[in-house]
Amino acid sequence: MKLEVKDIRKSFGEKEVLHGISFQVESGKALGLLGRNGAGKTTTIRILMDVFHANSGSILLNGEKFIPSEHRIGYLPEERGLYPKRLIIDQMIYLARLRGMNGAGAKQNAKKWLERLEVAEYEKRKLETLSKGNQQKVQLASTLVHDPDIVILDEPFSGLDPVNSQILKDVVNELIADGRLVIFSSHQMSYVEEFCDNIAIINQGEVVLEGELREIKREYGRNRLMLSAENLDQDELEERLRSNFAGLVQISGRKKEFLILELAGTTRRQQVMERLASSDIEVERFGSYAPSLNDIFVAKVGEES
Amino acid sequence: MKKFGIVLQYELNEYFNNKGFVIFTVILALAGAVVLFLPRFIDMSGFTGVETTVSSGQPGEDSQPESGGQTEEQEKTSYLYLDLAGVVKEDVLIQMFPMGSWQKAESEEALTAAVTAGEAEAGFVVLGPSEYRYYVFNKGMSDSNTMMFSQAMKQFFRIDFCAAHGLDLNEIMTVVDVPVTVEEQVLNKDSTSNYWYCYFLVVIVFMLIVMYGQMIAVSVTNEKSNRAIEVLVTSTTPDSLLFGKVIAGAIGGLLQTGIIMGAILLSYQVNRELWGGMLDMFLHIPADVLISFAVFGMGGYLFYAFLYGAMGALVSKTEDVSKSSGGLQVIIMVVYFFALMQLMNVDGPIIKVLSFLPISSYSTMFARIAMGTVAPWEIAVSFLILAVSIIGTGVLGARLYRMGTLRYGNPVKLSAALKGLRKSEQ
Repeated sequence: MKLEVKDIRKSFGEKEVLHGISFQVESGKALGLLGRNGAGKTTTIRILMDVFHANSGSILLNGEKFIPSEHRIGYLPEERGLYPKRLIIDQMIYLARLRGMNGAGAKQNAKKWLERLEVAEYEKRKLETLSKGNQQKVQLASTLVHDPDIVILDEPFSGLDPVNSQILKDVVNELIADGRLVIFSSHQMSYVEEFCDNIAIINQGEVVLEGELREIKREYGRNRLMLSAENLDQDELEERLRSNFAGLVQISGRKKEFLILELAGTTRRQQVMERLASSDIEVERFGSYAPSLNDIFVAKVGEES
Repeated sequence: MKKFGIVLQYELNEYFNNKGFVIFTVILALAGAVVLFLPRFIDMSGFTGVETTVSSGQPGEDSQPESGGQTEEQEKTSYLYLDLAGVVKEDVLIQMFPMGSWQKAESEEALTAAVTAGEAEAGFVVLGPSEYRYYVFNKGMSDSNTMMFSQAMKQFFRIDFCAAHGLDLNEIMTVVDVPVTVEEQVLNKDSTSNYWYCYFLVVIVFMLIVMYGQMIAVSVTNEKSNRAIEVLVTSTTPDSLLFGKVIAGAIGGLLQTGIIMGAILLSYQVNRELWGGMLDMFLHIPADVLISFAVFGMGGYLFYAFLYGAMGALVSKTEDVSKSSGGLQVIIMVVYFFALMQLMNVDGPIIKVLSFLPISSYSTMFARIAMGTVAPWEIAVSFLILAVSIIGTGVLGARLYRMGTLRYGNPVKLSAALKGLRKSEQ
């Protein structure tokens, strides 16, 4: 399956909030939809789910118009909610049946997912009696209760402690390995980095960066190096580089343990290594710099805003 | 359609699994039945006027008054009189007040003191052949003592007059007070006997609409406030959700009312003779009226329930529901009062018009069927208008519901919601 979102535009009243969003994702892969608060991620997802109608643009699945009601979609909305005063098992069966399962299959799957998310013991309890984390897990179980082919998770990790986050991570990895198409919106870059093959960064209603994460990282790290010294602290090292390495590298950032350098012009790594070897800098760490998604996000959204 | 069935089933289960709903229904049905079966177990002849044989628990023993006539004497109401004109005849008083025991007072002061002390229910001081003074401590709403005593005074006068003029009072009375036998044949509807159960049914259907309508509105708002709505509208269509919820409420209400009313009506039917037919005006309802009540009542309920559902979707907090549905409540209240007022004139032009309007036909048409003259075509047209209106409010309600469900924050005004709908159509 290949889902393509093409040039989606959406206005609320006179204000256009999405200015032509485009991205694509395939089965067995996960797309990370990233953006700051109010960037347009949830609106994009709601358009995908047919909760809102786009003013223009198209959504295609395998080249044909995507109609959500014709597919098995597991949607975890940002605004979490189930019936707090009703039994967990009853509402899970209800949701599974609404999404096309028969009664017996719905019951079996409800139990399976509650078991998988380690909340099976609460199936006969009312949702409101559970802790926030367990409610979140029940919510995720209800999202997956009908074994969807397409899974859309809007901020799935919010409110989860590290142990529950690990369970959720495992589940998402299983879904991806199982060939499901996963769209994943989050502020937490480390999770996106862990699961997603592709990312789309949305800023102020526009996609400012989209593509394969590995490629993006390589592109961002292409001319960058990391450097730290045993005999100098970061300020001294920076000072030394400015005075002795001008023309070879520029300092493009700082991390706790090293400086990030950008090769200037046609400079090659070999030249930097040679200059370092002839200097009094005792190299502690030197190598290619692989940027984190967080760096890319901050750099990209920072540039745009 | 299948998803509508799933929603309906789930919502219905919520009613049937609700202990409060079940207990309330069972208790009211049982209480009604128990009260109506009372004459089978308790001697209520004093109330119903029907003599019943009540078993005492000892086979072969009949219940007898204790120590022959003493209880009856004790139960009699004590009255005092002071005859200053010399006209009072005790046998006439006993005849006029069969449950009274009469004693002469020594003086007006003694009579007043006895009444004040509660030793006598009331006292009469006869001042002349056509004049008396009445003493009572607390006068009750149904006090008819003066009416009865005035009759007695007239009889004293007649007796004395006949005696003075050598006339036979009994002979004169056969001419003055000729007994007349009436055989009444009502060829169509009898409003005097139908009025009260009609009144009763109008109140019931009004209560059903307001109570269940409000429940539906709150239930929809709850789904918004607990954020379940986004999961629901992405799992099925808003039409299925709203229709399922409303129809489940209709079935729940119909079952609850049916069980309670069924238990009461059936219990009365079984014990009607023991009640001497005294509750016929409330509980002896003809089948055609009951059917028209069920059909039009249910129609009216659905008509308003869809609108209540839509009103619930326009707000995000349950405390705002009454604000949102206020306008609807006013319409229902106005219709209710008009319907009750027009029960006195069921063939009048106002109720005829009301019986064709979908906002009011649910109560006024069955009132006309029960008490007035209504042609079959009028019933059919009224029902058709109601049915089309239900579909209309259903569709409008579902669209408002669809639009309002994901609008959080301040309540959306109905006018703004309708404007939004028109805009989205263009």
